[in-house]
Amino acid sequence: MASYAVRKSINLAPTVRALPNGIPSAPRLNLAARAPSDGHGHGAAGPRSDVPTRLTGTVTSPSVGLVSRTFVAPSPTTHLHQRLIHTSVAAKDAPQVPDFAPYRPKDETTNRAMSYFMVGSLGVLSASVAQSTITGFLETMAASADVLALAKAEVELASIPEGKNVIIKWRGKPVFIRHRTPEEIEEARTVDLKALRDPQRDEDRVKKPEWLVMLGVCTHLGCVPIGESGDYGGWFCPCHGSHYDISGRARKGPAPLNLEIPPYDFNEADGKLIVG
Amino acid sequence: MALANAFYNTVVKRNSVFVTSIFAGAFAFNVGFDIAVTSFWDRWNQGKQWKDIRSKYIQEESDS
Repeated sequence: MASYAVRKSINLAPTVRALPNGIPSAPRLNLAARAPSDGHGHGAAGPRSDVPTRLTGTVTSPSVGLVSRTFVAPSPTTHLHQRLIHTSVAAKDAPQVPDFAPYRPKDETTNRAMSYFMVGSLGVLSASVAQSTITGFLETMAASADVLALAKAEVELASIPEGKNVIIKWRGKPVFIRHRTPEEIEEARTVDLKALRDPQRDEDRVKKPEWLVMLGVCTHLGCVPIGESGDYGGWFCPCHGSHYDISGRARKGPAPLNLEIPPYDFNEADGKLIVG
Repeated sequence: MALANAFYNTVVKRNSVFVTSIFAGAFAFNVGFDIAVTSFWDRWNQGKQWKDIRSKYIQEESDS
């Protein structure tokens, strides 16, 4: 049985991308490599230009004749010239930009001043808030009103005749209250300040000239001075012999300072003196 | 415009002046706010506070 062999050569579609010159793209394959022992190179590396690539066809000389083969390569199914960045949309040099001119400020300086004004206003507000916050926090540490009210001492002023001393107790300490006569006031105000150990004007020591209010604690070592005695018609401390004048100022003896003035106020409506 | 420029040049331009004026403004704001709130409170509670009705009671005491 005769057998026929029908030989049919087809080229399959390339599975890789083909370069424009028909060579499949094989990035890792170095087609230009030459054997290192080949001593006679032909110029520049690359496929020879005078011989067609073996892919396009071959010329062989078998025993009889000459066979020239030319492969017809179907056009590749992929795009030859892949345009990865496509430019199908016409590139406009300046696309339609809206006109912002109506929104732009007429004058830059107004905007700048406004911005800084807002910054400053925020600073003012926050500083004020911080201040009141801190003040409120610190006020919680202060004594409350009922404690302060208990810590006050009230004296009926009408009960103290002129030229008399009264000693009251205020926060555990004696307080001297003297209803001074006009002569005593005159005497206290005419003292030469330069002669004093702790110079202080009588006007600075009293709120009303006829009422002298001061702490009855000797500034030397804390004894209680005796009233209406001493060399200066004021107070005399028996412990170490300090003399105070009619304004409570240290005049003689070891006392370094004048008698201390407590915080006090007059209640005119009720005729009372409130110490504390 | 002139006002804005004057504000910028006098207050803002130097940071020390800016910060100082902020603190001064905070102080003034504190005082003003306090006065405003107090006066509002007094007006809102007119006739209810002790300082408003004190005269009545004091007079009654002195009468009796």
